Amino acid sequence: MALAITGLSKTYPNGVTALKNLSLTIGNSMFGLVGPNGAGKSSLMRTIATLQDPDSGSIELDGIDVLRQKDEVRRILGYLPQEFGVYPKISALDMLQHIAVMKGMTSAGQRKETVEALLQQTNLWEVRKKALSTFSGGMKQRFGIAQALLGNPRLIIVDEPTAGLDPAERNRFLNLLSSLGSDRTVILSTHIVDDVRQLCPRMAIIASGEVLLEGPPNEALAALDGKIWSKVVATNDEMRALETQVHMISTHLVGGQHEVRVYADGSPGSTFRPVDSSLEDVYFLNLSQQAKRQLPN
Amino acid sequence: MALFWEFFTFELKFRFKSLSTYVYFIVWLMFSFLNVASESFGPVGNSNGKILLNGPWANAYNDIGAALFGIIIIAAIFGTSILRDFQRDTYQILFTQPISKFAYLGGRWAGSFVTAVFAFSGTMFGTFLGTFAPWADHTRIGPNHLWTYLQPFLSILVVQIFFLGSVFFAVAALTRKLFIVYLQGVALFMVYIIGITVFSATRSLERFWSGILDPVGFILFDDVTRYWTVIEKNTMLVTWSPALSGGVLLYNRLLWLAVGLVSLLATWALFPMSVEALTARSQGRRAAKAKQQELTEAQPVRSLVTAQLPDVHQAFTPGTTFSQYISLTRLRLRNIVRDIPFWGMVALLIAFGINNGHFAGRVAGRNIWPVTYLMVQAVEGSALLFLYIVATLYAAELLWRERDTHFDGIHDALPMRESTDWLSRLTAIIVVELTLLTVAMFVGIVMQTVAGYYHYELLQYFKELYIVTFPQVLAFTLLALFVQTIVSNKFVGHGIVIGLFVLMPILYGFGWENTLYLVGQTPTYTYSDMNGYGHFVPALFWAITYWLAITAVLGVLCIALARRGAEDSLRARARAAFRLAPRLAPLGLLFVIIAACAGAWYFYNAHVLNEYLDSKARRQIQAGYERQFKQYENLLQPKVTAVDTTINIYPERRSFDGNVRFTLQNKSKEPITQVHVTDQRQSVTNLQFDRPFRLVSSAPRGIYSIYALEQPLAPGEILTLTCNVGHQTRGFRDGNEPPEFAYNGTFFDSDYLPYIGYNPNIELDDPRRRREEKLPDLEEMAHRGDPTHSVDNIFTRESDWITYHTVVSTSADQIAIAPGYLQREWQDSGRRFFEYSLGSTHILDFFSYISARYQVRKEMYHGPNGDVALEIYYDPAHTYDLDDMLASARAGLDYYQRVYSNYQFTQFRILEFPRYRTFAQSFPNTIPYSEGIGFIGRILKPTDIDFTYFVTAHELGHQWWGHQLVGANVEGSNMMSESLAEYSALQVMAHKYGSDLMHRYLRHELDTYLRGRSSETRHEPPLALVQREPYVWYQKGGQILYTLADYLGEDKLNLALHNFLTQYRYANANNQADAHDNVRAAGAIDGSYPDTRMLVDAIKAQTPPELQYLVEDGFNRIVLYDNKAISATSQKTADGKYKVTLEVQARKVQADGNGAETPVALADYIEIGVFSGKKDEEKPLYLKKEKFTEEHKTFVIIVDQQPTLAGIDPYNKLIDKNSDDNMIDVTKQ
Repeated sequence: MALAITGLSKTYPNGVTALKNLSLTIGNSMFGLVGPNGAGKSSLMRTIATLQDPDSGSIELDGIDVLRQKDEVRRILGYLPQEFGVYPKISALDMLQHIAVMKGMTSAGQRKETVEALLQQTNLWEVRKKALSTFSGGMKQRFGIAQALLGNPRLIIVDEPTAGLDPAERNRFLNLLSSLGSDRTVILSTHIVDDVRQLCPRMAIIASGEVLLEGPPNEALAALDGKIWSKVVATNDEMRALETQVHMISTHLVGGQHEVRVYADGSPGSTFRPVDSSLEDVYFLNLSQQAKRQLPN
Repeated sequence: MALFWEFFTFELKFRFKSLSTYVYFIVWLMFSFLNVASESFGPVGNSNGKILLNGPWANAYNDIGAALFGIIIIAAIFGTSILRDFQRDTYQILFTQPISKFAYLGGRWAGSFVTAVFAFSGTMFGTFLGTFAPWADHTRIGPNHLWTYLQPFLSILVVQIFFLGSVFFAVAALTRKLFIVYLQGVALFMVYIIGITVFSATRSLERFWSGILDPVGFILFDDVTRYWTVIEKNTMLVTWSPALSGGVLLYNRLLWLAVGLVSLLATWALFPMSVEALTARSQGRRAAKAKQQELTEAQPVRSLVTAQLPDVHQAFTPGTTFSQYISLTRLRLRNIVRDIPFWGMVALLIAFGINNGHFAGRVAGRNIWPVTYLMVQAVEGSALLFLYIVATLYAAELLWRERDTHFDGIHDALPMRESTDWLSRLTAIIVVELTLLTVAMFVGIVMQTVAGYYHYELLQYFKELYIVTFPQVLAFTLLALFVQTIVSNKFVGHGIVIGLFVLMPILYGFGWENTLYLVGQTPTYTYSDMNGYGHFVPALFWAITYWLAITAVLGVLCIALARRGAEDSLRARARAAFRLAPRLAPLGLLFVIIAACAGAWYFYNAHVLNEYLDSKARRQIQAGYERQFKQYENLLQPKVTAVDTTINIYPERRSFDGNVRFTLQNKSKEPITQVHVTDQRQSVTNLQFDRPFRLVSSAPRGIYSIYALEQPLAPGEILTLTCNVGHQTRGFRDGNEPPEFAYNGTFFDSDYLPYIGYNPNIELDDPRRRREEKLPDLEEMAHRGDPTHSVDNIFTRESDWITYHTVVSTSADQIAIAPGYLQREWQDSGRRFFEYSLGSTHILDFFSYISARYQVRKEMYHGPNGDVALEIYYDPAHTYDLDDMLASARAGLDYYQRVYSNYQFTQFRILEFPRYRTFAQSFPNTIPYSEGIGFIGRILKPTDIDFTYFVTAHELGHQWWGHQLVGANVEGSNMMSESLAEYSALQVMAHKYGSDLMHRYLRHELDTYLRGRSSETRHEPPLALVQREPYVWYQKGGQILYTLADYLGEDKLNLALHNFLTQYRYANANNQADAHDNVRAAGAIDGSYPDTRMLVDAIKAQTPPELQYLVEDGFNRIVLYDNKAISATSQKTADGKYKVTLEVQARKVQADGNGAETPVALADYIEIGVFSGKKDEEKPLYLKKEKFTEEHKTFVIIVDQQPTLAGIDPYNKLIDKNSDDNMIDVTKQ
């Protein structure tokens, strides 16, 4: 399975450009999409999930023209939208049974087996007969995961799947995703850069509808080795001063004081100490570089 | 207070920035504008030709209409004001602020109140603007007075806004559910409509509590103004005076203002300034408990190792598509039936079905058998509105559900076809609709059983509900689905769908009557037990097919334009539709072809085979006839003296043909050179005279032809006219099928034969329509003694009397009947022939031809003057009333022959005909009697009015009054047949049922008379001058004569009638030539017919001097009494008797034709009575007519028993506008 996205562009009627001539190739593995709010992640995922047409560009999945042969795609698709609601007064079990039918699972026995397995996996077994509308945020999210995995999909698109999950469930879900096997394409979008590091052999950083970086997380990390410097700063004035002098990529609060992370080929000063690079540094660096590029405009 | 002001102004600002406020305003503006500017829009404009469209009565009535339809708007304005904070979650911010309940609730409420008053004030502006519309009927627009606008607005609408608004505000504030806000509006609206139906079905004369408890005002308004005459309606306001109709309006307004106030107080007291609604607290506690329980249950420890998911096999075959469809449909149905509103609707449907079903067996206050067509009508009538509400609501809910619940992201990416998805939505609605129809059917069957009627006719239920009604609902559903597909907002969609629904009848009222362009329209049809759906079937079938196919095309478009995915702009969906086009186009094309074919076939039938005439075009024909030919109205014409016809009825083709031979004679003193013939049904061909003639002119449609005789017809000379007649039904029409022709139940009369001269009966009589056609006011009838009109009789101007002979044939399984004695019956080439003749007996030139599959009941009446054969020709299923009819005929023959004169025939026949027309009509010895008013009567209680008995006696009475005695063609003559037949029937009835029951009946008659005069479109005449006013000649005439019989003595009045009848009957019958005896030419000159002067004289001759005033008042004046019991007390006397002191009031006024009243001095005898007994079963202890010369009088009366009730005119013998204040309970002292 390989998904080839070529030259995808999309501008919404309200003038917002969601995708700018975006091209990506996603192979037969877990693929992480990270990017800030409004970067175009969800637009991209909806487009792949057949819910939206681009203004131009093409998407091909193993010979299937995703933009034309929507039904073919839907048959092998498992999709978890970023936000979704449920029908009131229908139980998780009934709803999954229904979706199983919709996904072409014709054998009743198999349907039952799969649905029950998924309910177990997503820890919804106990509440399977409860109305979905009574579910808490996390339970609902787990239901969303269960329905996305129904029918053994070969193309799985999960948009912010771990949002709203507690750490235990998050781990469990990541385990579940990684255990799905290797013969499928999984696209995962997230804010949490760590998710990607844990799961994805490949990733892309997207901002303003463009791909800023694409490749294995390890390579991206390696590129930054020895180039990230850190310093604890006490006041805002000091930080403002620093901002003009060095390429600051992020700040964190540590015990009430600002820890500033700076990108520099060599030591930016004696007060800075070298630190290990993290995927987050890759992310922030790319974003800040893009912001700088756009500045002159 | 400052805070209150803050909330109040905020609310106002918010409202006046919101579009909906202006939309509501415009709605009312348009509503009132059209009420004035178009006479076809509002009920006031539509009803009466003299009520000012901007007068106080019209304004008040329209305000009540706005109050009814405004319920939902009031709910929307008041409900949303408080819910806004909860919908947008601003309450969390608000309630953490230091605000008082009063400021918050008060500000919101006051802002909504002002907004609602503003919105509804559109009614006043609309009416005002309407008065300036140049095309409006300015004869019905009076000067604009501010107070006639403001007073009804304040006392009806503002009170309504206050009270309903407060109630809705309270409910919304305490439940905090938007859904409930709308539901309560809809529920109140429906409950009110049902309440009104129930109330009118009972025909209750209770007028006090019904008015006070009416929350909207229709009953209240009717209570106050039901007897108001035109003048009163145009000048008087319904005021809050306690004197007006017992203060009904005052108490009503006070009651509902109080309800509003209590609601406000309740809101203030109970509203929790917290996150939870009042109702949520207990729910919350319950939920918390359940949750607790759940948590305490052991949670199993799960393995951290992920198990492999089982492998699955997917298949996408047509079978999968079908399973998807089933699964989707099931899911959607579950969504519907697990919602409370659905069950609420089922419960309401059942409740309304039970209610309406209960009244299916009551029509106009009479009990009848709830035969299946009545029961279906009842339960379907109540269900129909639901079905359309379901279609409207669920079309939107189902189309928007995924989006409303945000499930669309998952749903839309599922591998299904758009058509599967859409069909499942449609199917869910269909299942719901069919369920509701089935529920309605079961309710109907249960209610028939409850009523003791067990002849269920399931097939008829099935046909009506599933074959006729369901497809129409389906078409509407498809339309609603389409609208919801196109629009970008559910509520806009609702607006459009409801708008379309409301618009169609309005367009129809404006004269857009064509089924082919009124969306979803089908031609009207009537089910008849005799004829089933009969000839309505093809028109219905093709109209339904046409609209179903058109809406199916919309359905295909719905699939193509279905919302799927993130982009649901119409443009994006149109692009997607092109992709689906190849798959859907063939189906769409198929439906287009079906629609085109059905439409073309419908058009061919309704517009090509038949001439298409809408009601306006039909009126234009009438008006044209009058304009062109009224000049000939008084042209001397020969009169018809003998008729001989051969008529062949072809029921299966709804056609007939035949030939006619008229013997005409010049009964005037002048020679006649031209013969004019009216042919209003386009049924006459090949008209010939037995002497040389030529056609001078013939109008379009042959409606009026003038023939010149080469040799003028000398006085007394005889002329024979022959012609062919016929009517051929071709295909079907767009409604307006002539009711005369049916597969089973043909009934037509001499309208299908040529009419000699100008026929004034064709003239338009609605003043509104006459003005529209620029015709002058309808001509008044000639005064009594007018030389031209006195030689014509009122019923058949073209003739005096005829002798009659006919041969009628019909198909082999039917019986054909015409007036006359059966001479011969035979079969020839598969048809049945009947020859009827009346020998030399003279009858009016008024006869009918009837054919149907009849069962016959025969009985011989042995009377003092010989035998009379009684025969009833009836539908085999309608046996209920036969004995009653025969009993009435016997009693009538007894009474009429004893007191009036001999019956002129030796047979009396009653013939049932389909209920396309609902009357009984007296032809010579032959009474066609509609299945719609007789044959299924039922007496349940001894107090029930036996209507069949009454109608039969009335029609039999016409054999004397109408068929023996006919008046001149002048004012007053109509009462000599109708009032006297009514009186005859009242006496026959009184002899069977006694005076107590008659009192009950006469009170309804009185009510009908008083209501009749209040909606008079011209002017009310006194009884002896009546022209075209049925409420005068039936209800008033009957009452006046019945009361006269009581005052003079029945024998005296009957003697007067006998004398009058024997002196004046058969005027002009024996001075003419007819088929049997030739009278000398010189003797054949018409004299005068009698008129009401002779009748009044005959009655006066038998009236003692002190009662002469009563005859004068009854016949020559419009006199109304206001009799009233003021007080009554009783004291036990020493000798064990009771002394009753009774104070009464008597007033008398004389009214002119417009209803303006002037007081008249009293010198009248009025009955005083003291009664005793259980309520409604009182028996008189004392009854005496006392002479009144002054208004107030006190009587002291000694009676033997403890009295309970006393008063003046206890039996309502006199015409009294307040007939229920005559009696008063006797208080003990």
